[in-house]
Amino acid sequence: MRLPRFDYLGPETLDQTLDLLATHKDDAKILAGGTDLLVRMKKGLLKPKTLISLKALNELSYINKKDGCIKIGARTSIADIIASDLIQKKAKALFQACEKIGAITIQHDRGTIGGNILQDNRCHHYNQSDFHRSGRQACHKDGGKICYAREEADRCNSTCQSDGATALMTLNAKIILARKGGERTMDLADFYTTDGIMPFAMESHELLKEIIIPIGGAQSAYKRLAYRSAIDYPIVCAGVLLKLSDTQKNEIDDVRIVVGAMGRSPLFLAQASSSLKGKKLSDTVAFKRAADIAMDNASTFAVHNVGATLEYRCAMVSQMVFQALEQAALAARE
Amino acid sequence: MSDYTSDYTIVGKRMPRVDSRAKVMGKAKFTADLKLPGMLVGKIKRSPYAHARILNIDTSKAEALPGVKAIVTGKETKGVKWGVFAYTRDQQFIQIEKVRYIGDEVAGVAAVDEDTALKALDLIEVTYEELPPVFDPMEAMVSETELIHEDFPNNINVHVNIDTGNVDENFEKAYYIREDTYVAPEESYFQAEPYAVAARFDHEDCLEVWCPNGGPHMKSKPLSNAFKLPLHKVKVKKIAIGGAFGGRSEICPVDYICALLAKKTKRPVRIQFTREENTIATRQGHAMITTHKTGVDKDGRVLARETTCYMDGGAYSSTGPIATSVPFLSMEQAYRMESVRYNGYRIYTNKPIRGMIRTHGRGFACGLDTQLDMIADHLGIDPVEMRLRNSRQPGEYTSTKSYVDSCAMDETIHKAVEKSGFKEKWGKLPPYHGIGIGTNSVQTGFPMGIRGGSQSFIKFNEDGEATVMSGVVDNGQGNDNMLVQIAAEELGLLPEDIHLVSADTETTSSDPGSYSQVSTFVGGHAVKIAAQNCREKLFEVASKLLKVEPDKLAAKNRLIFVKDDPGSKRCKASKSIPIKKVVRISLLNFNSVNAEGGYWPKVDMKREWVKNPYGQMCEAFSFGTTIVEVKVDPDTGQVEVLEATAAQDVGYGINPLVLEGQFEGALTMGGQGGMLTEYHEWKDGRCINPTMLDYKLPLACDMPKINTIIVESIDPKGPYGAKEAGMSIAMSAAQGYSAAVSNAIGVYMDSFPLTPDKILAAIKGKKAQAEKKTSKNNAVN
Repeated sequence: MRLPRFDYLGPETLDQTLDLLATHKDDAKILAGGTDLLVRMKKGLLKPKTLISLKALNELSYINKKDGCIKIGARTSIADIIASDLIQKKAKALFQACEKIGAITIQHDRGTIGGNILQDNRCHHYNQSDFHRSGRQACHKDGGKICYAREEADRCNSTCQSDGATALMTLNAKIILARKGGERTMDLADFYTTDGIMPFAMESHELLKEIIIPIGGAQSAYKRLAYRSAIDYPIVCAGVLLKLSDTQKNEIDDVRIVVGAMGRSPLFLAQASSSLKGKKLSDTVAFKRAADIAMDNASTFAVHNVGATLEYRCAMVSQMVFQALEQAALAARE
Repeated sequence: MSDYTSDYTIVGKRMPRVDSRAKVMGKAKFTADLKLPGMLVGKIKRSPYAHARILNIDTSKAEALPGVKAIVTGKETKGVKWGVFAYTRDQQFIQIEKVRYIGDEVAGVAAVDEDTALKALDLIEVTYEELPPVFDPMEAMVSETELIHEDFPNNINVHVNIDTGNVDENFEKAYYIREDTYVAPEESYFQAEPYAVAARFDHEDCLEVWCPNGGPHMKSKPLSNAFKLPLHKVKVKKIAIGGAFGGRSEICPVDYICALLAKKTKRPVRIQFTREENTIATRQGHAMITTHKTGVDKDGRVLARETTCYMDGGAYSSTGPIATSVPFLSMEQAYRMESVRYNGYRIYTNKPIRGMIRTHGRGFACGLDTQLDMIADHLGIDPVEMRLRNSRQPGEYTSTKSYVDSCAMDETIHKAVEKSGFKEKWGKLPPYHGIGIGTNSVQTGFPMGIRGGSQSFIKFNEDGEATVMSGVVDNGQGNDNMLVQIAAEELGLLPEDIHLVSADTETTSSDPGSYSQVSTFVGGHAVKIAAQNCREKLFEVASKLLKVEPDKLAAKNRLIFVKDDPGSKRCKASKSIPIKKVVRISLLNFNSVNAEGGYWPKVDMKREWVKNPYGQMCEAFSFGTTIVEVKVDPDTGQVEVLEATAAQDVGYGINPLVLEGQFEGALTMGGQGGMLTEYHEWKDGRCINPTMLDYKLPLACDMPKINTIIVESIDPKGPYGAKEAGMSIAMSAAQGYSAAVSNAIGVYMDSFPLTPDKILAAIKGKKAQAEKKTSKNNAVN
């Protein structure tokens, strides 16, 4: 497979980058590692005129602690995140998620956290070659009006399989989107549209600049399931953020459960999360119940489009959530 | 008896392969690396429909595109059909009337660069009339829609029937009978190297071709037929090959298309497959539905077996008759049966073409072994004992009348059992922790008629080094090294003194190819004989110089010396002479130093896959046992493999280092991948997971600890006693993996591969059944 032709721009500062984005807008795509973008281009799924590479943009590669938050530059490599003591200690879920992304030898060094969050949704009927997609009608995401994953579906059901996105949404992360002459900060949870075709609420002249993770007293955990131990997207994943009560010993104050690889975006499961409020850390029955609620709620979003049977993936939501809860609870107890 | 001795200097020793260095350093040239002067890029226009009539092909727009040098369609092939056998000629190299699977070749383009070639493909306008496709073999047999090939009623492509007689009588005598059905979907090879072919016509109008192959002579003959060229004008050249596993065994339509484009443009053309093309447009392994009915006496000995197998053959015959037979043959070699009836049906469907694969019939083999375990369970016999009671013994005949000479099946079982601690673990492992055993056998060669033998030529150069010519191809397994080791051993040289010329139809003689586990046994044997003949010539000259009879001489370490001379080691000067000197003296005396040698296995030439499936199949069989220990996560159904032990009777281990690599690779392909994760998904005939990301090949980090055990039975006919290496492991590994998982979860599985969803469903089903039982008991109480 071959990359289509494109112009390559390599800005060296953030300002230059934002200038270029303002000029090229929809014609340009940001290249931040390329482990998702270039693969899609090779399959002919997109043909940007211009790629703006962030390779030289070292100013967006950093991890630091400021104002009670972890701040991560969007171009920070996956390897740097895994190596960060701060993230291992204060944002465990992100550390665990990044460890599982792609392969140590490729995606960890080339791939960036920004790129991971902004990786496009996937579907095994869509992420295929031009040849595969010929001889049949185009699907929603491919500009058509049909869905091969769910019969009669009136919209795209592609799945967000980003490990980083699920972990960061668990951690209540915020993101900063920069554009020429300004920037805006938003909750990562609000960043997702429910549109499988364009899953992110982002303008073409905007650049993901920074990720902000609040450091609270909470413990987090991330669990995922795949066929292989590397180079494999999750077929189900779950993140848990668990905060203990300040007053009652071993009592849960608040839990945040997010499930990934099941819907068009990572799914924050409010009902499952709130079911654990006030529960004891040792209450595995409550954990099981919350996990089952998570399964019931997440299953309604999923379609058979990322490998493994749908039935299995749905059943595994409960397992992943339960395991993540147990792990976070264990950490909270320590 | 064989000439086996333990004091070889080169064979039997661990040595890094002669081709390894170039490969790991990236210096080896594969077909895709070839750059010939003026070379064009070729691309294939493929059918996007599973079944459709071609109404019209308009190439005018594509031809008008600047940079396009030639376009070929089926019109230019004159309707010639290809088939491995005369009775299976069903595939045109370029389709002209209709297409039969998504990926079928419709046209070929040669252009100055890839972009132009791809653009030209889009500009070729093909008008199709879609026909109802059929994707399920069972449906295909009863479908009333247009036949996939009109000459094959009910879409049945091949029917192999084997019947030893007495089957029904023996079932009546049986103490216990079971009948079970097992299913497994198709799988792919995922050779490291996607298929590629380069072709050009030289100044003498000879066709030169480079491509991965299972035997260059298997490529040159059909090309010579298609182009009506004498064989000597078709030169299939040697090139590094990145894996075959049965998937490179025959001509690929694209070989022809590439050559045709080269002929038309008078320029070299290279076609390189994408990973997707390699998956859908080369070969795949058959999907199978297999029913085994087995009757045993009260000791568990098999009295009668009836096996019926329906195989999804895809759109064309390929090696169909062989593929329909080998799953059965492997099992009839591995296990004794008093009587057996086999009906194998290969059925056409509108899916990619299926051929030979290393783990031939994973559902077939695993089903048979699972059923043996079930019978053993019923009779209160442990699986090891069950196998020992039915295992093949030396000096017997298989059900289809092949004499089995060397056979150390039992030794592979005993050694694997001992190494793995099977006896201590069986029945005593904690819940969801299991151990299982699989045994299998593969044939060393098939009756291949005129191409059944191999010849080798050896010439000495004046510097005392030798050039060895052999038709054997190395497509990854280490054949080149095997030939060099054998030649060096016999000639008394060091491996670095041997220059190997191989797998080139211009310079090397016919050879059966390396897809029936026959390379060492036949090709290696031929080199051994040629080298011995060459050595005799050296000894004749040396005997005059050393003043001893030739039969008193030996060659080793570049010297010819007097055998059994106690002083020869300390006092080399008087009793030995360098080979180089012997060569030079010989040449000065007007005598060339070269020789030939050949080997033709004594097989029953009347044996034929469909018409007469009885008689001597090949001269030797290899036997393998794999024991696997697993832990299953009862919550997710995921399998963790703790340890795998693979033991194979290879006859003789020419290079233990290479053998261990073969065992490990075989276990990866047959067991870890073949039994746990690898299968294809489809949507309306489209392969959903054609790439390495979506088709779940195991990675190095997924692999368990592997113990390899080389068992040597010293086959009387094999070179040094050697037979085959690796394939018995690939197959027995599949069986060992499935047995271990079944043992861990306490459910005998009948659908492979054993993906977590199936395992979890089985665990849940078992729990539900147990609960039902308890509640019933409670109700009764």
